[in-house]
Amino acid sequence: MDVADSSRCVAVLALLAVVVAGCNGGTVDKHALKRDAEKVGSLASEGELLANDVSKGASTEYFARVHAKELSQASADLADALGKRPTSPGITPDVRRLSRLAGKVSMQLEQLHLHPTDRQLAQSLEQPLKHDADAADRLAK
Amino acid sequence: MKIFQVALGILAAIGGFVDIGDLVFNVSAGATFGYQLLWVIVIGVVGIIVYSEMCGRVAAVSGKAVFDAVRERLGFKVGLVALISAQVVNLMTLTAEIGGVAICLQLLSGLSYRWMIFVAGVVFAIVVWVTPFDWIERVFGYGGLCMLVFAVAAVKLHPSWGAVAHGFVPHMNTQSPLLYAYFAVGLLGAAMTPYEVYFYSSGGVEERWGPKDLGLNRVNAQIGYGLGGLLSFSLMIVGGALFLDKGVQPEFLGSIALGVEVPLGQIGLLLALVGILFAVGGASIDTLFSGAYNLAQFLGWEWGRYRHPRGAPRFTATWIVLLVLALGAVMTGVDPVQLTEYAVIFSAVALPLTYIPIFLVANDRAYMREYTNGRLGNVLGLVYLVVIMLIALTAVPLMILTNVGQN
Repeated sequence: MDVADSSRCVAVLALLAVVVAGCNGGTVDKHALKRDAEKVGSLASEGELLANDVSKGASTEYFARVHAKELSQASADLADALGKRPTSPGITPDVRRLSRLAGKVSMQLEQLHLHPTDRQLAQSLEQPLKHDADAADRLAK
Repeated sequence: MKIFQVALGILAAIGGFVDIGDLVFNVSAGATFGYQLLWVIVIGVVGIIVYSEMCGRVAAVSGKAVFDAVRERLGFKVGLVALISAQVVNLMTLTAEIGGVAICLQLLSGLSYRWMIFVAGVVFAIVVWVTPFDWIERVFGYGGLCMLVFAVAAVKLHPSWGAVAHGFVPHMNTQSPLLYAYFAVGLLGAAMTPYEVYFYSSGGVEERWGPKDLGLNRVNAQIGYGLGGLLSFSLMIVGGALFLDKGVQPEFLGSIALGVEVPLGQIGLLLALVGILFAVGGASIDTLFSGAYNLAQFLGWEWGRYRHPRGAPRFTATWIVLLVLALGAVMTGVDPVQLTEYAVIFSAVALPLTYIPIFLVANDRAYMREYTNGRLGNVLGLVYLVVIMLIALTAVPLMILTNVGQN
């Protein structure tokens, strides 16, 4: 094998590694449910931290608007994927529940994105986001 | 005056130590394992000190930068494999860094991400073309010092200092050993990013370092990188103190800035964003130049950042092409944070290809005369050769087994 061949081989292996590692689709099994529930919980918890800062006037308008949108979009993507993907037997209700939960988290964060300086609204979002994070944690167990 | 210059150099090195790889891996590791991986940062920082001191010494004594040595020691064909690997990783890193700059600008201004990519590209092109290099180094290095706000945030979050101290004791995590190992490899890869060393050694050649500058080389490497490592500790402590208990997995640059906003409010947030902007912006320029240095040194072209762009046309054309390629890649919508993880892992894989030739040259009396590695240098050099081989061999399998740290 000459150097060009070995370079091609390394490139193909690297590409394969990226594809395999980045592969995120397919059937939702218990393991994937746990991982996605942890992600939804993470997004809700981070949203709660952001909402708390906005309610105290400790954030900036642009940061709150942009970051809330990032979190909202990530949650919406999860809701979409969990609502469509096939599931392993016995866990379908939990997967769909998690999908709805992710959709709810996304909508709450969208509110923060649309009103990044509304301190009262931010305060009113803290508890629901905390509850959603707890609910996601329960689904992850 | 000399001490003043050294102090300024060290300040710039601290400000320029952290790049997007350090940001992503240190905060994520803290959010996942608390302070348990602090000891890995120590190993990584000592590693980059050993590696860059050797490169700086080789540059000062033999006048050879990294890819001069690579071509001479490995020959054209194997050297070409090293060059291609380095350039691919460099381009991935550059893309991630430019994406990071655009995200920072967006978080500061609220404007569209794509516009900010365009703005970042134009600003980089102008800055690199017209600004004297000393100024680029100073402005981005000193701006990056705003990152010290992470150290304040780490203290303000009141971490358990006992647990922090325990984190410096090397140990294994038995609950999630693979994920722990993945983060350890990522932290080492992020601390020992090769482009920093290519840049450092090429700078030594350009500034015409000689044996009389070996002391300066040692001080720059040891104190600059050593103190820069404190920022890495701070990032991990912020991740551990704020995100671990809440189960937050920081997947965005905004999450990292939030780690400062929570304890320090608006001022802290703005300092963090400005610090990240300058640190990642400075790293983008270093990466851009490194790519051009590597190719020019390997092919024997005229090169140099102190030359006018027209004085080294192929070197200039190379960095322009790299900048355009990176801007094109980031415009496709690739996630800079995810790309960073891949870039760091693949840079760990490519690390031996440049470390080994430098280690060999640093021991070659024909080049180095009386300045070859001493006994301590060789012991450390060999230890890190083993560490580097180990992370190079395990990086990709760990990435696959942990689904890029997601499992």
